[in-house]
Parts: sequence; structure tokens; C-alpha cells
Amino acid sequence: MQVVVVLAHPNSDSFSHAIADRACVGLRGAGHEVQVLDLYGLGFRAAMSMADHVAYHGDHPAIDPIVAEHGALIKRADALVFVYPTWWSSLPAILKGWLERVMVPGIAFVFNDKGKVRPGLSNVRRIVGISTYGSPRAYVRLINDNGRRTLTRALRLNTGLRTRTAWLGLYAIDSATATQRNEFLDRVEQRMRSL
Amino acid sequence: MKVYVVYCHPSDTSFTAAARNRALAGLKGNHEVRISDLYADGFVPELSAWERTNHLSPPDTKPGIAAYAENLRWCEALVFVYPTWWAGQPAMLKGWIDRVWVAGVAYELPEGANRIRPLLHNIRRLVVITSHGSSKLINSLEGEGGKRIVTRSLRVLCSKKARTKWIALYNIDTSSGATRAAHLDRVEKAMRELR
Repeated sequence: MQVVVVLAHPNSDSFSHAIADRACVGLRGAGHEVQVLDLYGLGFRAAMSMADHVAYHGDHPAIDPIVAEHGALIKRADALVFVYPTWWSSLPAILKGWLERVMVPGIAFVFNDKGKVRPGLSNVRRIVGISTYGSPRAYVRLINDNGRRTLTRALRLNTGLRTRTAWLGLYAIDSATATQRNEFLDRVEQRMRSL
Repeated sequence: MKVYVVYCHPSDTSFTAAARNRALAGLKGNHEVRISDLYADGFVPELSAWERTNHLSPPDTKPGIAAYAENLRWCEALVFVYPTWWAGQPAMLKGWIDRVWVAGVAYELPEGANRIRPLLHNIRRLVVITSHGSSKLINSLEGEGGKRIVTRSLRVLCSKKARTKWIALYNIDTSSGATRAAHLDRVEKAMRELR
């Protein structure tokens, strides 16, 4: 499979980076071709600009070269793997902005003759989310895991309902022991190996 | 009432800008109003590596957030005006939450405590004025992440009695002029009667 790993954490020595590394080990070990998009490392701009907004409704929405490049990558991808810390029960702004700017008409979806949205990413058969949470699992359930919903529901509506999703979460990370963290990394590698 | 309006849209000719104008018209004369226009301010939505590493440092050490933090501490009602993109707040606004609702502003984590304590007791009304490209049904399927960030994640840091109000226009791309006009009337009326 062609797998695109989208990573969103500002610190290059973060646990999210360690997760992405181990996910890649698992994926490559299973013979998949992997491309990592480290959004902070690439200097990806989160906010949709006025120019982006105008282009969104035109024939060529992806005016920024990095957006066009990422769009072409996901058009070829069989699986999308998202690695990020959950902030405010949702995606970090840079990852939310990546969805807004890359998942544009012509890439993630198309408008049909009646102006209705139709899925454009039927090539994506798997969506995987791997996230860390400051809160314990029960609290995340109570307040809702809005990042997870955005990726496994809103994004999945654009890949098709045959797309399968998988979710791996490390909860209450601030009180997690080194052993728990290492076990989680092992779990990530193992899960990605069997994708 | 002291009302703080946080407006987020790149285009000043957008429907969201029109909604903001009508909201301000409704508030004028009835309330004391402050407004932030995140795009006009050139707000940087990406939480930096330094901010992440020092996330528990006092807020006055954080760059570019003092005025927003002051407004949050001042207001009794907080009104968000934004378009819903990918089931949630635009990255620009999500980044504002990531960077401004920090320790010492929205919550505190006292020494030895294992859970955060709310600080924005002054906020007793949370209002969202937004528009959705898709239908209410699609939004329910997508999980309404944006709504839940405000009504759950942010609300728990405000007054215990804080009430929320959701004023949304669904199906905006196919909506008629009359439907849009009715929505704007509703926005103005809700703001005039805010209490």
C-alpha cells in the first residue's frame, strides 16, 4: 500500500514524533511505501488565506505548491495515518488547516451538477488516527473526541463508507510512566505492521 | 452586558462578515462591545514549539496573546462568528483557542493538583454564529465537532451557570436569499436580546 503519514507536533523531539517513527517502522516492515508529512517541519501554513479562499471556488483551488503536492500524494494514497496531540478535544490548528487547504474541491470531493458534494477520495481504503491526550479516557468520552470525529466521520464521508478506520490513543499522557509510553509505541508499530 | 465578539473569516465581503455586521448592529446601544478580527490582526494560529514546551508558564510570557486574554477576562458574553469548515472552527480560530486559552487565562493547574481548575467564571453566555455548507443531517453524521468544542470543552472553563446558544445556517451553498436574510434577522434579534 501507499501510505501517507500526516504528523502535527511543533517539537521535533516530541512523543508524537516518536509515534510517527515507530508507525513508519511497522509500515515499512510490512512492505508498504510510506511518505511522512511533518507539517511543522515543512512550515505548512495553517490558515486559509484570502487568496486560498477565492481560489477554492475556482477551477484550480490548490494555488500553493505545497498544497498541490500534498493533494497529489493523497490522491495516490491507499491509507492515511494521522499522528497528533489532541488539544481542546480536537486537532491542532495546523492539522485542521491542512484539511481545509488540501482537502479542496477536485481533490477530496467534487460538486455534482446539483451542487451536492460527492466523495473524491475513494482510493483511500484506510484511515488511521494515533493521538495523545492530556485527559483520561473517561473524560475524553464525556467531552467528546472531536478530532477523532472529524477524521473518522467528516473525512470518511469523502473517502467512502467502505473505508475502514482504526484508532490508537494514549490517554492521560502526563501521568503515563515510561513503561506505558514504550508499550504504546510497541502497540503502534505492531498495529501498523498488520495494517 | 459586556460582550466580546471573536470574528474569523478571510473575506470582508463574505456572508460571515454580513452576520458579524448584523450581530454588531443588534448589540449596539444595548451592550458594551469589544471585537477581535483574527485575520485583520494577522493572528498566527500555529502553536509554537516554545509555547508547547512552556505551556504552563505565566500567560504574560506568551507572545501576542495579552490583549485577547484581557478581553476574555473582561467579558460576560463571548460570541464567536465563523464559517464551519470540516465540521469545526477554521484553523485560524482553532489556533486562537490553542494559543490564547492557556494556563493562567482559561484555567490553572495548582501545584500538586491532578486536574485543571476553570478561571473564566466571568463568562456566563457563549454564543456561536456560524454557517455550514452541508445539511443538518450530514453535520450530525460528522459529529458536530465544532459545536462540542464550544458547548463542552470551552464551557467547562467558564461560569458554572454558563449557557450556550447556537445560531447556525445549514446548506448555505444552496440556500435562497430569503433564507439567508431570515438567518441574519435572527442573528440581530438574538444579539439585541442577549442577556
